[in-house]
Amino acid sequence: MEVLRELATGFGVILTPANLYYCFLGSLVGTLVGVLPGIGPLAALSLLLPFTFTLPPVPSLVMLAAIFYGAMYGGSTTSILVNIPGEAASVVTCLDGHEMAKQGRAGAALGIAAIGSFVAGTVGNLGLTVFSPALVAIALRFGPPEYFAVMILGFVVTLYMIGGSPLKAMVMLATGVFVSVVGMDIVNGAERFTFGSVNLSGGFDLVAVVMGLFGVSEILLNVEALARGEVFSRKIRGLLPTFRDWLDSWAAILRGTAIGFGFGVLPGGGPVTASFLSYAVERRLSRRPERFGHGAIEGVAGPEAANNAAVAGSMIPLLSLGLPSNAVTALLLGALVIHGVQPGPMLMTQHPDIFWGVIASLYVGNVMLLVLNLPLISLWVQLLRIPYRILFPSVLLLTVIGTYSINHNIFDVWVMIGFGLSGYVLRKLGYELAPLVLAMVLGPLLEQTLRQSLIMSTGNPAIFLTRPIAAALVLLAAALVAVLVLRQRRLGLAGADATQHPTEGSP
Amino acid sequence: MKKLVALLSLLLLVGSVPASADTLAEIRARLAASKPADYPTQPIEFVVVYPAGGGMDTTARLLAKYVEKYAGHRVIVVNKTGGAGFIGHTYLATQAKADGYTVGILANGAWTDAMLKAKGKWSHKNFEAVAFVNYAPVTWIASTEGRFKDKTLKDVVATIKSEPGTVKIAVVPSISFEFLAEQVETLAGGKVVKVPFQGGAPGVTALLGGHVDVATGFLSEYRGHLDAGKVKVLAAAAEQRAPDMPQVPTFNETLDAKHLVWSAWRFAAVPRGVPTARKGYLEAVLAAALRDPELQAEYQKTGSIVDNPYANAAAVDAAIEKSATLERQFFTTTGRLPK
Repeated sequence: MEVLRELATGFGVILTPANLYYCFLGSLVGTLVGVLPGIGPLAALSLLLPFTFTLPPVPSLVMLAAIFYGAMYGGSTTSILVNIPGEAASVVTCLDGHEMAKQGRAGAALGIAAIGSFVAGTVGNLGLTVFSPALVAIALRFGPPEYFAVMILGFVVTLYMIGGSPLKAMVMLATGVFVSVVGMDIVNGAERFTFGSVNLSGGFDLVAVVMGLFGVSEILLNVEALARGEVFSRKIRGLLPTFRDWLDSWAAILRGTAIGFGFGVLPGGGPVTASFLSYAVERRLSRRPERFGHGAIEGVAGPEAANNAAVAGSMIPLLSLGLPSNAVTALLLGALVIHGVQPGPMLMTQHPDIFWGVIASLYVGNVMLLVLNLPLISLWVQLLRIPYRILFPSVLLLTVIGTYSINHNIFDVWVMIGFGLSGYVLRKLGYELAPLVLAMVLGPLLEQTLRQSLIMSTGNPAIFLTRPIAAALVLLAAALVAVLVLRQRRLGLAGADATQHPTEGSP
Repeated sequence: MKKLVALLSLLLLVGSVPASADTLAEIRARLAASKPADYPTQPIEFVVVYPAGGGMDTTARLLAKYVEKYAGHRVIVVNKTGGAGFIGHTYLATQAKADGYTVGILANGAWTDAMLKAKGKWSHKNFEAVAFVNYAPVTWIASTEGRFKDKTLKDVVATIKSEPGTVKIAVVPSISFEFLAEQVETLAGGKVVKVPFQGGAPGVTALLGGHVDVATGFLSEYRGHLDAGKVKVLAAAAEQRAPDMPQVPTFNETLDAKHLVWSAWRFAAVPRGVPTARKGYLEAVLAAALRDPELQAEYQKTGSIVDNPYANAAAVDAAIEKSATLERQFFTTTGRLPK
């Protein structure tokens, strides 16, 4: 077992007091920025990057990576407690996590999120340790047409995710794509829907939109409820998941891990897409899908496992190809380069201490995060005891600071407020906001890969069917649409039958 | 005026004496002597118009660290991002105060944006250079297993001519990567398929996967694959061959041309109108930091060339003017700008 020996070298590198300290520090900072709405791992990493200049490469990388996966642990906390995601990958966790909190089961939700994250992180690392070379070969076979097919599949699966009307979900998907279109055309740089505004030429920032749609609108809804005198119960039942919760969640955690890991390896998707996909899969597979949206613990366990496994997955293209699959890994790449370490196929042989040290630190960091997060649960749930008139203004302040900190541009704060008001109206009208966020993430990738593919094939759409991987994915998406249409029609017919023939068995 | 003369003579002095002859304390003392009384009293902001973690960002953060070392003064790096740099450029050109506390760490994009996007609202003349930082030429690479594995740039150009529309080249739209491919098309007399990517690195990955035949990029974006023997450099869009890669030809020598020169050319600039004494002090501090061999070594590790051919900030301004003029000619001949 060559791998085991290499991994042992890695543990030898990481298990020194100094490196353990930086791993812990990164985990702690990551958890905190994950908890704070709007302030994500990206902001924390760019702030801390200069401090790593004086450190050797191993502790720098170990600390920065720990912030990344630490934020995935912390991100679920505010999703569950106040229905405001700590970062974009925890948007879906709101759906059932907050419902659980309303039922007094915040502790169980936080517990399963932490444990799911731990299992996913650790299993994902195993995948990273063992399958790296093979997965790189597969990932390289994904060119623009294959990515386009993946994006299509992502959109289709979202339709399965939402409980309510598929039409409303499609409207939200379309809106999300439209929002993502604003700004500079990614192929020829032409301005679209900017109306001559310099600020709009940069498009809408994802974090500003998420904070508005989820954060501001949630606060508005709560203020309204308060004004009407409705207060949701503040009782807290149990701080840990029950045996029943375990039975419900273990399979979701494992599936979430697999989905997250796979999407982490592919550029572009990352933790956000993986968490959405996992939720859709859990809902589809559940024997009682009606529980989703009303506090189903699988709806927390799966996505939280998925976003953590995606972190492990995204380390593969980063370390072995030097290809960052999202903004955070791009920053890690920058950190490596500053230290004179060139990620790529030679990293494993030229700098085995860094390659295996970082991988070993992922195992250690996940254990630290579990130990750190489980006791914190009892502290976090106390947040629910804070009166709304103090809690919500504080949260609002944090979202404003977080949103401003992304680009240092006050325009983003206006965007947040605008989307907050729209989100409030849309929620009142019964629209689910999560698909809008997913469409905003996938939209630009969908457009880019479509245009790249058609440029490659000089305009011939057959390119999606002549390449085996792309063809398989497109056909799968088509089959899923067909099933959905058939089901809707059957439901529609059944509904029509029921109204026309109220008595069972009559002609 | 007296202050200005003193400053200029000081700059000349600093310029003529090799850095190694001075100790850090001596350089610091000289800088402190030239420091205006009222500046700086608050942290200096280095504005980067691209996201944290990218090439420009690391360039600026390293520079900030060494400016702090020499000036003993706090420098903060701020990423004003969005619109592929356009928002930050516009901020620096039209909104930032010319008080010496805002310094843009910029690249060619500043004048390309001015010409193509600013619609006359601002131009590169709204900035004044305070230092040349470093540069990296745009290069073409091929996979060592792909269509051009044993071919030279000459062969690739011959293929573009004999089989037009079949050579797939990864580019980044609307920047030098795309412009270079267009110039080669014109000289070769045949079209290529320009596949657009959002950066050099994704294009390099597509090259490794066999989805394109040639990728455009900077050394920093493929050094790992070059060391591993997965890719080879076809040519560099530089004026001369690079000292660390003497075997790589330039586009100009292969195609017998003069205008195929594209690079990431990085410099520091302030909004026009910073008081002379403050600007002079900034120039002196940046010059001292950029001469530090440790910083130069750091930049070389990221694949940049640090040799500074410019005697002072005015020469840097002149170089910018020259590049902008050359680029404007390209934009008018290709119809991107009206004649």
